[in-house]
Amino acid sequence: MSRRAGLDAKPQSSLLALVTMAVLVGVPCTAEAQQARGWVGSSAQLIGMRPVVRLADPCPSETPCYTSAEPELAAVASQDLFLTAWGFGVRGLSTTLQLRTRQRLGGGFEWPRSDDPFDAMLAYADLVRGDFTFRLGRQEVRSGLGFPSFDGGMVRWTRRSLRVEGYGGRSLARGLRDPANEALRGLEDFLPDQGVYLIGTSVRGRVSGASLTARYHREILGDRSGLASERASLDVSTATSIASVRGALDYDVARRSFGKGHVTVSVPLEDARWILEGSASRYVPYFSLSTIWGLFEPVSYSEGTVRVGWAGLADWSARASFGLRRYGDPGTVVVLRPLEDTGRRASVDVMWRPEGPWAAGATYDLEWGPGGYLGSLEGTASWTPSEGTFVTASGRTFQQIEQYRLGDGRAVGAGVSGGVRVTDRLSFSGGGSVLRARTEGGVAGDPWNQTRGWSSVRLLIGRDPGSTTPGSFGR
Amino acid sequence: MRRRLGWSHLLALAAALGAVGAFAGMVSAFGGEQEEPFPHGAHAGLFPVCTGCHTVATPGSEPGFPPSAQCAQCHDGADLPPVSWTGPSETASNLRFEHASHRLDLETAEEAAATCEACHSVPGEARMRVEGRVEEAACFACHGEAQDDHFAPSSASAESCETCHVPLASTNLPMDRISGLPVPTDHLDGGFLPVGHGREAQQGAARCATCHTVDRCVACHVDTGNPVLARIPAAPPELELPPASAAYPLPESHREERWDERHAPVAEAASCNTCHTTEDCRACHVSPAPDVVGALPRRADVHAPGVGLTPDAPGTHASPFFPEAHGTLAAADDGSCATCHTESYCTDCHDAPTGASYHPSGFVAGHSAAAFGRADECAACHETAAFCRACHLESGFGSVGRLGTGYHDAEPIWLLRHGQAARQNLESCASCHEQRDCVQCHGVLGSFKVSPHQPGFDAERAWATSPRTCLACHVGNPLGGGSP
Repeated sequence: MSRRAGLDAKPQSSLLALVTMAVLVGVPCTAEAQQARGWVGSSAQLIGMRPVVRLADPCPSETPCYTSAEPELAAVASQDLFLTAWGFGVRGLSTTLQLRTRQRLGGGFEWPRSDDPFDAMLAYADLVRGDFTFRLGRQEVRSGLGFPSFDGGMVRWTRRSLRVEGYGGRSLARGLRDPANEALRGLEDFLPDQGVYLIGTSVRGRVSGASLTARYHREILGDRSGLASERASLDVSTATSIASVRGALDYDVARRSFGKGHVTVSVPLEDARWILEGSASRYVPYFSLSTIWGLFEPVSYSEGTVRVGWAGLADWSARASFGLRRYGDPGTVVVLRPLEDTGRRASVDVMWRPEGPWAAGATYDLEWGPGGYLGSLEGTASWTPSEGTFVTASGRTFQQIEQYRLGDGRAVGAGVSGGVRVTDRLSFSGGGSVLRARTEGGVAGDPWNQTRGWSSVRLLIGRDPGSTTPGSFGR
Repeated sequence: MRRRLGWSHLLALAAALGAVGAFAGMVSAFGGEQEEPFPHGAHAGLFPVCTGCHTVATPGSEPGFPPSAQCAQCHDGADLPPVSWTGPSETASNLRFEHASHRLDLETAEEAAATCEACHSVPGEARMRVEGRVEEAACFACHGEAQDDHFAPSSASAESCETCHVPLASTNLPMDRISGLPVPTDHLDGGFLPVGHGREAQQGAARCATCHTVDRCVACHVDTGNPVLARIPAAPPELELPPASAAYPLPESHREERWDERHAPVAEAASCNTCHTTEDCRACHVSPAPDVVGALPRRADVHAPGVGLTPDAPGTHASPFFPEAHGTLAAADDGSCATCHTESYCTDCHDAPTGASYHPSGFVAGHSAAAFGRADECAACHETAAFCRACHLESGFGSVGRLGTGYHDAEPIWLLRHGQAARQNLESCASCHEQRDCVQCHGVLGSFKVSPHQPGFDAERAWATSPRTCLACHVGNPLGGGSP
């Protein structure tokens, strides 16, 4: 069975990433870094599932078109290295690496990204000189506009509570760390066949307990024939003795339209035994200008949410939330009757966490609206005799209805996970879970049946400057 | 022939013993030990002047007690019984006092106190009524302070401690006497340790040195290069000191709300390094840490332990809603996040391909409702085409090629009604469909040529920013005329 039709081979490895990594790895080795810290880890994941297959094409009406295939297994392994090294004889110079390799261990289908054997997720050098920080290499920006990565440079100026950044370089596909034209080759016909370049700037300031960050991003096609994106965002947070307020808004400069936004007010009461929170938000999906999706003009939804947190008893806490969202007018022709345009979500969870190693909790989530319905109940119990050593057991049952496709179903699952810190540097963890479904509606079989397993080992390297314990980093 | 004791000898002996008695009393006042006080009164008629016995006339003649042989001149066992008195033993003291120079100073100043009796006799009594102990008041009578003010801070005192006292490091006081040194009243004030003692030390480190050696300072201070500390002598090896434990009272500034988050603007090595080592900062700060962190002393290089901070999450993290709110907080102030978290901490979860811990366990099996609802923006971490669609294709849900019927069978005549769903949840469409699926019908060369644009669509803007995308559906510039 081949379900990779339409997908070309893995995006080619980034030559720049390799060169950058070689330099960053080689320089520290040559210069014998004064110190380094980080970790190496290896993990393996296994999944057994029942893929869905189409029975016939074209599908005859009034008969099921899809069914579950035979269960298949797939497994993948990955190794991570995260390392920061400094002290190369140049004051303020440090290098940071986060590398990942993957191997497909076998199975009947491809684990996502398992055909990409190597990722340089982060690979940059920092040089701090007074108020300035210079960064060169593969890096990531965390912002209200997401987490774009790029190969390039960044200059940051910081003076007390004011920080100004400017950065630019070759833009990478989100989450893939490869240029978009390489990473998405074979997945889309209308994506640019050239690189995209990112420039951006941000200003952050803090005044009287309020923090404000304004950011601007502009992505340009390599041949300058157009934009891939042009956006700006504003994030604000502040807190008083009564309440904290957080707000965010982004704006699509290229399309002259507002994107996501929200404002949230949190009020702790009675020494934070109660927390009341209310938020108003707006969401509209963002698509790159290089896809047609944005030109389809998706509509936004507006949502109001209230949350209550309570920790009135010594060992108990609970919280509940409810949100109601309404979609804007889609402006489409209504045939028969309009589809659902109102969504709701509610959640209640209770946690029991006494002094000592035991804890337990239960969560009920309910979400229904356009496209899908989910009612889920999950309970967990954990035993943590010491830091890094734990055993957790969980059970879950849920009902899921997918409005726009085939029927609905119920599922029951359970899992167990555990970990142990062998030394202050070495830890192991692993776990497994099973999910058994009973599907109702048109689909034969149980496509949600899953069996999952995972294991990992992590070894800490080095320590913080002057620290006598190795485990204080990477939090 | 036995030699008779002459009057001159008797007088000399009496004077000597009287002086001895007077001096013994003074020494006793400062801690000296004497087996039995000399009976000055019984010898009053023998010694007309104190200095006949107490040779304190010249500098360096302390303690000025007569040798026992001088007593034996009379107490020879024949006329008078022999005595074994040898005077007080040499006594440890922290006084800066020399009789000769003190007397010269007084004489120069023409002070009436320039006599032995002024200090050593009972006021109003005969000269040889020597007090066994010289009261401190005798010192204070001339040295300007009431006795209550003896321990007043240097700033409030006309006299400084070093006028009368040598630094503790220059004494050989036994440990019990060091432990028993009186505690000045200002030391008992609650603000003395966190604030007052530093100010006082800067104004007059000699006052500190009177009762302390620098060893006491560096039991807490990690700033061993502090110039004030350099003015307080260290204890010689032979001086045994009481054990000193470190104490780090919380300064008033540190009691401010959210101090752990707001201390950065006022953090300076010159002030932080009093109590904190770089390890204290590193308990939370990860690299690259602010310069001030590296400027602080290392714990291994100092005697004091430093405060010994342990990681403590900011108050915002305690909110039960923090998991939902952390994105906004990070976006508004990611510099604060980077204090304690490395980038990998974010990418461990937010990295799309293999992130394992961001979503709860079992999330994948039931993620469709969450994906439709978009409580979180999936595209913040996931490239829709490569991540969502690739997996959906593997699972059999993804679309390849021209659309067939049968999948969206929960809604009748789906093809005619899908527009609303697409406008509301276009990301979900894109998680299974590729653009070509849409272009097949919506493109100008497609089956139905249905415009996907809303009324009022800014075509000029779209063409100006991304003409290549327009050409996915149009065969030419749709604004240029002639081309559809």
